[in-house]
Amino acid sequence: MKFPILSVALLSISLASLTFAAESSAPIADINPPASATVAEGLEAFSRIFEVTSHPRCANCHVGEDNRPRWSGPSYAPFPPGQDWRYHGMNINAGDSRIGVETMPCSACHQTTPDLESKPHTPPHFGIDWQLAPAQFEWFGKSPSEICAQLKDPTRNGARDWQGLAHHLVDDAGHRGPVLWGWNPSGNREAAPYSLQQHVDDITIWGVAGQPCPAE
Amino acid sequence: MKLTVNGDTHDIDVDEDMPLLWALRDELNITGPKYGCGIAMCGACTVHIDGLAVRSCSVRAGDVEGEVTTIEGLGSPDAMHAVQEAWNENQVAQCGYCQPGQIMAAASLLTLNPEPTDEIIDQAMSANLCRCGTYPRIRAAVKSAAAKLGGA
Repeated sequence: MKFPILSVALLSISLASLTFAAESSAPIADINPPASATVAEGLEAFSRIFEVTSHPRCANCHVGEDNRPRWSGPSYAPFPPGQDWRYHGMNINAGDSRIGVETMPCSACHQTTPDLESKPHTPPHFGIDWQLAPAQFEWFGKSPSEICAQLKDPTRNGARDWQGLAHHLVDDAGHRGPVLWGWNPSGNREAAPYSLQQHVDDITIWGVAGQPCPAE
Repeated sequence: MKLTVNGDTHDIDVDEDMPLLWALRDELNITGPKYGCGIAMCGACTVHIDGLAVRSCSVRAGDVEGEVTTIEGLGSPDAMHAVQEAWNENQVAQCGYCQPGQIMAAASLLTLNPEPTDEIIDQAMSANLCRCGTYPRIRAAVKSAAAKLGGA
């Protein structure tokens, strides 16, 4: 096998997830879909969803097939001329594994711990092994219509309907994973807008409205 | 708390928040891992936990699960690890300060990826800074270590 540790690394991720799942009790956010929602309300909810998904706390690790996390957002300024972002320092490439097993695991610096607190300029951490989102879930630099199309496409969203997306958010946050961290990044990092509960509510409003997407 | 380092288990009385690097250097007098930046940006403090590289400045001692290996435990002057042999043969070190971290990072890379290309070596080792600029020799040494270990 080319990467003999890969299977061990992936197993340890699964075990870590199970451990934190066992520690979780009450849901960290509620899923309460409205009885009905108009298309206009759905589009309004999606505009807030886009503000979240395009925010640096989420988009920096929702990158495409180059497997290179980004450093964008006010805590990483200033940027190269003509850009409002830079690549993650130190030539970091998470590889096709998206977790760095081809080179150096993300967890060499981003420790796995349920403690979300980290100081400015230090590697942040959360309760599951640090990793990039799958390449199909690419958000960085994408337009509202592009992200909307991805979120409603089961071949590019982890085979989830809108209820599945809402459950994914709550489950991940229950593991003290990146979803919860996005609103609690600590240090000098700007948190994602609104709140986890508002974001879950917006997913359900958008879903009940029929997952409408903006023209652009 | 108990820390297993280079095969020996130590019982130390330190705050759980103490960085592993501090515990190693100040409590256990294991000074191979070096302090560089303190924020996981330079790699001088790199050690292994269960065989894979971690930045010991950024791990809380209380969070360590597994066996810690430092440069002192990777090999000895009489029985060097293949990466240490390759470093010696390629005369990689200049001032030497970053080299324990470089060697630990390289050993971890070769555990994960026994046949690294130049591109992979650059990706893996770019997070270990060398103010003397020994990068070309680091790359050459990683390749010869890979060959010693039966890879490329």
